[in-house]
Amino acid sequence: MDHRNLGDNQAEADPMRPAFAHHSEAELARILSFYEVRWQYEPDTFPIGWSLDGAVIESFSPDFYLPDLDLYVELTTLKQTLVRKKNRKLRRLRELYPDVRIKLFYARDFRMLLIKFGRLGLLDELSGTTGQATPPREPAAAAIGASADGMAGADADVAAVAAEVAAEAHVAPDAGRAGRGRRRGRRRRSAARTAAVMRVDAASFAGPAPA
Amino acid sequence: MSRPVDLANDIGEVLLTEEQIAARVAELGRKISADYAGKNLTLVSVLKGSLPFMADLMRQIALPLRIDLMEVSSYGGTATESSGLVRIIKDLSASISGEDVLLVEDIIDTGLTLNYLVRYLRGKNPASLKICTLLDKPARRLVEIPVDYQGFEIPDQFVVGYGLDYSERYRNLRFVGVLRPEVYSSLG
Repeated sequence: MDHRNLGDNQAEADPMRPAFAHHSEAELARILSFYEVRWQYEPDTFPIGWSLDGAVIESFSPDFYLPDLDLYVELTTLKQTLVRKKNRKLRRLRELYPDVRIKLFYARDFRMLLIKFGRLGLLDELSGTTGQATPPREPAAAAIGASADGMAGADADVAAVAAEVAAEAHVAPDAGRAGRGRRRGRRRRSAARTAAVMRVDAASFAGPAPA
Repeated sequence: MSRPVDLANDIGEVLLTEEQIAARVAELGRKISADYAGKNLTLVSVLKGSLPFMADLMRQIALPLRIDLMEVSSYGGTATESSGLVRIIKDLSASISGEDVLLVEDIIDTGLTLNYLVRYLRGKNPASLKICTLLDKPARRLVEIPVDYQGFEIPDQFVVGYGLDYSERYRNLRFVGVLRPEVYSSLG
């Protein structure tokens, strides 16, 4: 599923609404839509690590892109180990793509936002394992839409990488933003192979859709 | 509400005293007076949080000016959830076309409300549009909007008082304080 054209203030009404990997992402999408800030869900994937033969072995798909602000937003609402992992990925992204503007929204930021909006009742639902809700999708779509937020543990990390690699391979992210150069095609083909192998892992995390 | 509001004890720390606020508001008033000399200044305040700031600031500006008030719905408000979009609850009472508008805010954190308001007000063709905020919490900024007049930059803490509320309470405090976290979990 290509999320690129989804979510522009149509999240609630659009039957093609992205399948968010986590309740917190769905809530942030609702907040953005409420304030008429256009958003796209995981539209781009940025390769951030390559093997010696040029294959993508690590990539990063920020949760949201806000086209009017030219800003990516990544939500972290899970445990500290994943926050550290995301921080590391973020540093790498900034090194490799200095022109890309990205904001990491920590659990604390999001919690304060919900407190401000009086959504206290959602706090327990939106953090930790109870906030996880990876909706059922076709295997390929699951790989594309999944993110580390909806998973836990080492398997989740593997699945997240698979998802990101799959996104790189299938979604064809904005060619002007990421992964340029002559090696791009080779990386893509390699990524597609990797994704094909790892897709089953990603799909295995599918669960009920968010309420 | 499961717990009574205790104005004296619900505040963990006084971040800005009444005197600090007054001094800074006076400074802002002097600067705005100098910058807007000879212009058609209109102060637009956003209800409800910026009401005390607006009241104090306008009296520190030594210029002829107009004031107007707006109120917009906030995300999560039960009255607005059906629409799913921000709504103007109270619009400007007069045209601002050709006016030099200064939008007076109590606090800017994510910038989402401000971003909406700026776009809305620009559509009304003011001669200029600038932003004045008492409190700026840049750590939480999602939408970057240049702030022309800033009272205080504050840390990423939940503050109340001097117009700022939690669950519609604490607005009448004469200072800005940090609400004790345990209050969040006990007020509905």
